[in-house]
Amino acid sequence: MTTRRLLQVHPPGPEITEASDAPDFEIAAPSPGRWEGTVRLDDGRSATFLAIRDGQQVHVWIAGETYVFAPPAPVTRSRRSGQAASDDIVCPVPGVVIAVHVAAADVVEAGQDLVIIESMKTEQIVKSPRDGTVERVSVQEGDRVDRGMRLVVLVPEVGE
Amino acid sequence: MSMFSKVLVANRGEIAVRVLQTLQAMGIATAAVYSDPDANAPHAALADEAFALGGSTAEETYLDRRKIIELAIGCGADAVHPGYGFLAENPAFSRECAEAGLVFIGPSPETIELLGDKIRSKEAAIQAGVPVVPSSPMWQPGESQTDDMSSEIGFPLLVKAAAGGGGRGMRIVERAQDLEQALESASRESASAFGDGRVFLERYIPSARHVEFQVLADSSGHTLHLLERECSVQRRYQKVIEETSSPALDDDLRSRMAASAVAMAKSAGYANAGTVEFLVDAQTGDYYFLEMNARIQVEHPITEETLRLDMVEWQTRIAAGESLTLSQEEVRAVGHALECRIYAEDPYGNFAPATGRLLAWRPPSGMGIRLDSGVSEGQEITAYYDSMLAKLVAWGPDRQASIGRMLRALESFPVLGVTTNIPFLIRALAHPSFRSGEYDTGFIAKNPELTAATEVGMLNNAAAEIAEGIWQTNGTAAAGRTATSSQQPLGPWSGLPKSTFP
Repeated sequence: MTTRRLLQVHPPGPEITEASDAPDFEIAAPSPGRWEGTVRLDDGRSATFLAIRDGQQVHVWIAGETYVFAPPAPVTRSRRSGQAASDDIVCPVPGVVIAVHVAAADVVEAGQDLVIIESMKTEQIVKSPRDGTVERVSVQEGDRVDRGMRLVVLVPEVGE
Repeated sequence: MSMFSKVLVANRGEIAVRVLQTLQAMGIATAAVYSDPDANAPHAALADEAFALGGSTAEETYLDRRKIIELAIGCGADAVHPGYGFLAENPAFSRECAEAGLVFIGPSPETIELLGDKIRSKEAAIQAGVPVVPSSPMWQPGESQTDDMSSEIGFPLLVKAAAGGGGRGMRIVERAQDLEQALESASRESASAFGDGRVFLERYIPSARHVEFQVLADSSGHTLHLLERECSVQRRYQKVIEETSSPALDDDLRSRMAASAVAMAKSAGYANAGTVEFLVDAQTGDYYFLEMNARIQVEHPITEETLRLDMVEWQTRIAAGESLTLSQEEVRAVGHALECRIYAEDPYGNFAPATGRLLAWRPPSGMGIRLDSGVSEGQEITAYYDSMLAKLVAWGPDRQASIGRMLRALESFPVLGVTTNIPFLIRALAHPSFRSGEYDTGFIAKNPELTAATEVGMLNNAAAEIAEGIWQTNGTAAAGRTATSSQQPLGPWSGLPKSTFP
């Protein structure tokens, strides 16, 4: 049993911190940051794999599936103590902001359209995750945005 | 008219590569155009000459009609191939090419204009005796007689864009109270994508299959159909998997739909390669005209594979004034072909577009396998253009054989750095409904297991262990937990240890 240092970041899914039966693998062609070879799976079959380290991520292709691993993100301090991260509504895809439907102080309902992003020729509608009030809008029409970028901040919910 | 001496390809990605390959095989000189992010893209490298358009967005590059026509004239091209998308169905571009003395490889501007307008094209279909889906008049923002509009159609219904295509500007509306918002959203999307905000309503057929017929016509009006393509596996109204022949058609339905396709092409005065799209009601076997695409279709390779012909070559020859030497009797399909579109998107995240650098791109090969690709390893995939990276095509002597070949090819196609839909494609092809051929356009929505994130399993575990290993050694396979068991004999990997973990 070994402790894992990386988390699976894509596809979203299992959080395994302890390795179980570590598979045997044979590396045919290692070069810095890049491995390929075959791995024996738990059921005895062998599968080919290709793994590449890119900065703080490791990308693994194995038998038609791909996985991305990264070390756990450091815990970031919220902008104000007690403010939940869910108050930040972040951009789901890279693209361009084509419409902003809310402004600071607007009251919004869960599921209401907030911002529309165009990415790879399709519209992605960013909706409010809950009822609330808009504290601030961080983007305007025409802005180029990236995945994870903050679009809208809701006023924190009162209570715990 | 004699054959062209030089053709400029006004497109990017896999279709630009595909067109350039045929032109080069025909002995025609080629020119490409490219945007800043595409400076190192395969299509720019493949052409005899490549010209920078300057800029990044589609509007300032591949949609800039004036720049492209100036470059075509400047390099001495006598024709322009528009591919699909961008300017392919833009009548102004086709007209401006003609005015500049360039042959536009596609139908006439009048035909493009007619077919690009869903209302007029529907009228043409009705005149040609082709069945159509019941629909409403046009709607634009500011008008609000939405109750009248929906009364004859009923819910659920579809909102569609007058100038739409590829699902853009399209919405399913289940309830009357959602109609207004859907109209506005579809209109806005259509205005931004096509510069035309007009939308309309159409009857929604719950269990529908999307089947299209390829047609080919020369300028003397000699018109053939090149059989069908089944395109029912769709997400966001965009096709993902196509096949020919269609498991949904029997000989009688096939011949009636083929006759409708030819009648439609003739009624539109069509010359060149085009595609007539139909909805087939899986419950009744009725079929309805949807639209006719006035360009080369994305999924044309499956027709090429089963009919053993080159669609781009025919497009070029017809545009150069040659007559179709094929007869309808000579159109005989051999075997079965499948196409899987490889999209940069997250199958586990609602198919959201994905970007990044292609750290690895290793296409499969093998019997019956063809890849039409527009990307190469190391390339940056940006949010500026469509998310389709390539099309994988598998031909086999029958349907099951082509599915088997496709699955094997998908399972041996490493792509890293950019999330793709390959894991989804593998699951879809292996699904019993796909295997049996009994699927419709609701296939993906009805089978959530196709897009559910993988559970903890053997592959996750093995991948996690490999990731730990490469992380701890930085890929040198020499440090930490690596136990060197034996040295490889001399060879390409000479000196590298064979490693076992832990």
